This record gives sequence, structure tokens and C-alpha cells, in this order.
Amino acid sequence: MRFGKERKIMKTKQDFPTINERPAAGQKPDGSAYRVLVVDDSVFVTKQISQILSSEGFEIVGTAENGEVGVEKYQELYPNVDLVTMDITMPKMDGVSALEKIIEFDSNAKIVMISALGKQDLVKKSLLIGAKNYIVKPLDRKKVLERIVLSLQ
Amino acid sequence: MRVEYINPFVESAYNVLKEVLQCEVNRGELSLKSTSMPVLGVAAIVGLAGDVEGRVLFDMSRDTAIKVASAMLESMDMEAITELNDMGRATITELANMITGQAVTKLHNLNFKFDLTPPAIFTGDNMEVSNPDVEALIVPIELPMGKIEINVAVRERT
Amino acid sequence: MMADPTVLEKIERDVAATQARILDYKMVTFTLAGKDYGIDIMSVKEIAKFANFTYVPNTAPFVRGVYNLRGDIISIIDLRLMFNLPVPQKTADTAENGLILRTESNVVGVIVDSIDKVVSISSEAIQPPHPIFGDINIKYISGVVEHDDRLYIILDADRVFVKGAEKADPSRVPAEIVDPRANDRVFQPEQVHESYRVGDFIEQELFTLKGFTVSPVNRLWFLNRLQEWKTKYEGAQITDAEAAQEFLTTFTSRNRERLWPAAYLDSIRSSMKEPDGTLINVWAPDCGAGYEAYSIACAMKRAFVHKQIKVWASDTDLMRISSAPNLVFTQSEIAEEYDEWIVQGKNGPTCSNDFKEMILFEYSDALHSTSLPKMHAVVMRDVLSFLDEQQQNRFFSLLEEMIRPEGILILGDNEQPVDSASWVEVDDTNLTIFRKRA
Repeated sequence: MRFGKERKIMKTKQDFPTINERPAAGQKPDGSAYRVLVVDDSVFVTKQISQILSSEGFEIVGTAENGEVGVEKYQELYPNVDLVTMDITMPKMDGVSALEKIIEFDSNAKIVMISALGKQDLVKKSLLIGAKNYIVKPLDRKKVLERIVLSLQ
Repeated sequence: MRVEYINPFVESAYNVLKEVLQCEVNRGELSLKSTSMPVLGVAAIVGLAGDVEGRVLFDMSRDTAIKVASAMLESMDMEAITELNDMGRATITELANMITGQAVTKLHNLNFKFDLTPPAIFTGDNMEVSNPDVEALIVPIELPMGKIEINVAVRERT
Repeated sequence: MMADPTVLEKIERDVAATQARILDYKMVTFTLAGKDYGIDIMSVKEIAKFANFTYVPNTAPFVRGVYNLRGDIISIIDLRLMFNLPVPQKTADTAENGLILRTESNVVGVIVDSIDKVVSISSEAIQPPHPIFGDINIKYISGVVEHDDRLYIILDADRVFVKGAEKADPSRVPAEIVDPRANDRVFQPEQVHESYRVGDFIEQELFTLKGFTVSPVNRLWFLNRLQEWKTKYEGAQITDAEAAQEFLTTFTSRNRERLWPAAYLDSIRSSMKEPDGTLINVWAPDCGAGYEAYSIACAMKRAFVHKQIKVWASDTDLMRISSAPNLVFTQSEIAEEYDEWIVQGKNGPTCSNDFKEMILFEYSDALHSTSLPKMHAVVMRDVLSFLDEQQQNRFFSLLEEMIRPEGILILGDNEQPVDSASWVEVDDTNLTIFRKRA
């Protein structure tokens, strides 16, 4: 969601059951929700991503405040995580190292890097290691959903 | 401070604040300070590395921090805050990151290699910041929520 | 946000305009019983020292006597007596400090404790009087104003006149009346102090109007110029910015605000011994638009072809220093010695990137420079004279530390170091160069 006073009014299936029906982005073909692990040291960004994704039917199965906890949680939750959003700059263990560890553990892991401006080199490195995609802050609802959906394919 | 560094910081502060807060943003006159500087109450600091060593400090009163964070949260359909809690601090930190990040990107395009280090946020009364040997550029910004002083102190890595 | 440079420009212009409007009231300041007072300069005819007045009986106690001011007999009022303030004891021979005040029709002399200086302020800053501010009756106060951390009580000259003209109340005449004939001497203002007073005023005006400080750095030039000025204008004061500008015309160094001519570049070469090491550091504090930095960089590069040159240039004028990296020159002012480093930009000739890499332009206060390396040369022409005395002294301390032995200091044509013991002047007709003693 873009920062701004205009608010999108979220219509749910209950309001318009048959008009322009389309599956929510977070819904799998079988009807269940994609499960997402959010790894970010900022309470603010975590909340932001969670809100955007939950509103589209994703299920947030866990959050982690640094790379180390992120790797642990992934291992705990495995195989019940479909996607990870990974902040690049975090204390204790940064996103690139956590990315490496998770891919080591599960070569099919789907990870999307979240990065602030100014970290282009690390983003490139992440993609080479195996991240599926990246999103640059400030976070924009449309961009976030697009990239996440792409990464799930 | 090297003259080429000035505009990227001034422009990024203006651009990000305007976009994020969607309110009137007014820039005051730039100035230089070299002695220890009292902090208004809340200081978010982002470190700078690379071609230079130094930091950017975002200085504002507690009240302004609460109002700015609330404006950001509300624009994303989240609840405003009434005191500077974890969410408030995280929001201000994010703002500091965004402004510094944009400045660093602009500097990259001018061939200056800066890097940011993770931000920290300090709150308290009667705090002072001093950097012996380094002069700070002060960029005052007036918002409806109050004043934010951006204090950039960098030194060329010789 | 493409408009940023012009937005900054506008902010700077608005501030300058506001400051220009401000100084519309000038007052002569003085002290009475430890407090600061001021009086509109339009009411002041001159500053004087009074001694040996002729006492006149049947006048109020605060009338010290009469005085012969070049043929006119005027009353001398002691403001301390008039306002019932303590009067410091003086011996009979010591002259009292005073002002000659005038209105359309009257002239009177007033005695004060000491005269301070002429101060320029904004009339908007004058606040109405409040009894709490003064030791003296509020009816004599036309207002109060704060300036430079001091509070000045502004006297109403007209009220002082009215009081001064009051007839004496016989019951208030002191019992001890000094025999008038004993003191009946007519005294002329001391001629000796004349040029000092005129010079003092001019120094004050130069500082107020142009920020120029008369100090040991330029006193030699100043004294010569003062003589010239008095002869030319018969001791006239400097009353406005134009006059101050004219006074200063003989001070300004040659070839400022443009690239140095070839002869200057050679002067640098001949004044410096080839330094050891591979890097030459040059400091150009308060470099303004940047011409001095470009010139010295070229001079050094030509003189020491195989050395690396680094010029540290700074200024606190944001607009000028921000434009310095992209300074455009006037083709006719570029000596051919610069040609290999000049490229044609879209607005005209500028320096090539290779050349500009030698110079670091910073928006910075030079007096904050604690982390710079030691310098082989420092160029600051006509800089010191426009700083106040405290800043000048701080600069010299800094220079002591920062310049290597045998390093050179380039000052303005009419400037010299405060302490000549550490510096040897280099014989050169173009630049004023001092070498630091080893």
C-alpha cells in the first residue's frame, strides 16, 4: 500500500459473492492459503507486510526479528512454509547469510528479499545465491503483491 | 562537508517526507555546527561508511516523533500511537533509513560510494551529541507536526 | 525535485534582504553608573573630552559649567548628577568623557562615564520603555533595545535639553560655592585627540558597514589610508556604505575574483623550495567563489609537475561554495598557462575533471578544521581583514600548527601576519608571501 491518505476499502467475498470473482492472490488452487514467514528487524515493516499479505488471503505463519531466528523458525515450520520475506539489514545475522543457510537446508525454499535503497550490491548477491525476487522500500501494496505472486510460481 | 554531498541529503529529506507524510514540508536555511549539540528528545542515527566516515542524525522532539509516526501508520491503515512505543520507534527508524537510503543512492549516481549501517534510535531528556573533529551540516525541516533537524557529519576517508 | 538549487537561492536572498532592511537606526553608546545607554546619532554633533569648565552660579547642580566650543558657549550637563547616579571621583585635571548634543536650535554638552561605540540596529527592535529597565526617570527614556547580548537604554535627547535649560532652584544650589573667578578659564577641546577620535569612528564604521576589522594585520595600510582620507576629505566621517567602500578601494588585493595571471603562478614557484614527499597539501580557507583555489592548484601543478597536489578549499557562504566545483570562467581572463586544464562546458570554459580532482570544495567553517593534514601552503588573500579580531587570532594559532616549517602563507596585498617573529617575507612584487621559519 502506498503511503497516503487515500485508503483502499477492502471488499471481501461476502460483500460481492459473484461479481468479478477472482481468487485472492494468497489463495492456492486448492483453496488453502499460502503460508508466509516474515523475517525483518523492524516492527513497522513486519506489520506492514503482514497487513498487505493477510488482506489478500495469505497466512502469516511466523515472524522473526533477525536472520538467526529466521533460520530457526524456517527449520521448525518446515515443510509448512511456502514463502519467506527476508530483510537484508538485520542485527545478529543479516538477510544474505540467513538466505544462504535456508537454501542449504531446503534447496526449494522461496525467498523474497526486502531491501532499503542503497543496498543494490547485496540484492544482486542474494539473487545469485538463490533468492527468487526482491522488493525495495518504501513498500507499495501493488509491488509487494506482484513480486510475491511471481516468486510463488 | 564536501559540497557535492549537500543536495542529495537535502533533496532526499524533502522527497521522502513529502511522499510519506503527504503534508507541507518546508526547508530552513542550512548551517554548520561544530560543538556539542543538544538533542530535542528523540534521535535516530544512521551510520555512513565507504568513501566517508560519519553519520546522519534525525533529531526531533518526542511529541513530533509521535505525530510523525502516527501519520505514517494511519496512512497505511494502522492505528496512530499516543506514546513512543516499539511501533513508534520502529516507524521513525524506518523513516531515517528511507531518507538516508535515498541520499546514498543519489550519491552513488554521482560516483560517491557511501554505505549505510543499521540505524539506532535514542530517546531521553537532556541528551547531547558531540563529534569532536567533525563539523555537522544542519538541515532544518519544518512540518505541521513540528521540526525535524537533520544533522549530517561526515569526514573524507583520507 | 529539480528546483532545489533555485529554492536554496531564494531562501538565501530572502535572508539577505531582511538583514539589509534591518540596520536603520544608529546610536552612540555610553555608560552611566555601569549601565549601557544609547542616543540617536542624529542628535550627536561630536564626541569630546571636557576639562576645566567655567562654573556658573544659579544653575541647577547638574550643570557643571559652560564651555567654549570653537567660539560658541555651551552648557555642560553632567548626566550622572542629573539622574542622581553615583559620580566617580576624578582629579581636577582629568578630562571628563562627553558628547556634544544638538537639536535644531540648541547645542549642549553632556558628561558620561565612558563612551563606547557607534552601534547600528533595527528600529523595529526598539521596545517601549518600562520603569524596571533604568535607574533614571522613565520620561527621559525613549526606548530600550538589545544588541550583541547587551541591553541599551535609549535616551530622549530632547527631554535632556528641556531639563538642561531649567532655571536653577536657589534652594538646591550647594552651600559650598566655588569662587567663579578661580575656575574662570575657557578651555579648548584637546587637539591631540582629534585624529584619534576621527579614526576611531572610521574603524567602527568600516566594521559595521563592511565587516572590515582594523587590526595589526592591516594597521599599516589603515594609518596611511587614514592620512590620505583626512587630507582629501578634511576629516570627514564615513556615513554610509558607499563611503566605506571608497575608503577600502586601496585595500583590495589585485586579481581577486579571477584566475591569477601567469606572473603570479611563477611567483609561487620561486617562493617555494621543492618539498619532500609525493603529496603537496594546500589550504584555501574562505575561498569564496573558488578562483583562489583553482589558481593555486594550477600554480602548484606547474611548479611541481611530478607531485600530487591536493587543495582543501572551504567557505561558509553556501551559495558561492556550492557553485565552486562548476565555476565558469571568462575566456579572456584565462592565461594560456591554464589551457591544458580548461574544457568548454555548455555555459563556457571550466576546469577539466582531472584538474578538479585536485580540489576538495567544502561547505565548512575553516576555524573548525581540526583534522586536516599539515600544509605546505595556505592562501587567504583579504580574508583575515574581514574577520573579527578574535577570529583573526584563532586563525593565527591554527596556522602556527598547520603550516609546515618553510611552508608559505599568502595574504592580501595590504596584510601581514600578526606575529612577525615566525614569518619571513618573501620578496615578490605580485603576491604577498610569508615563509614560516624553520
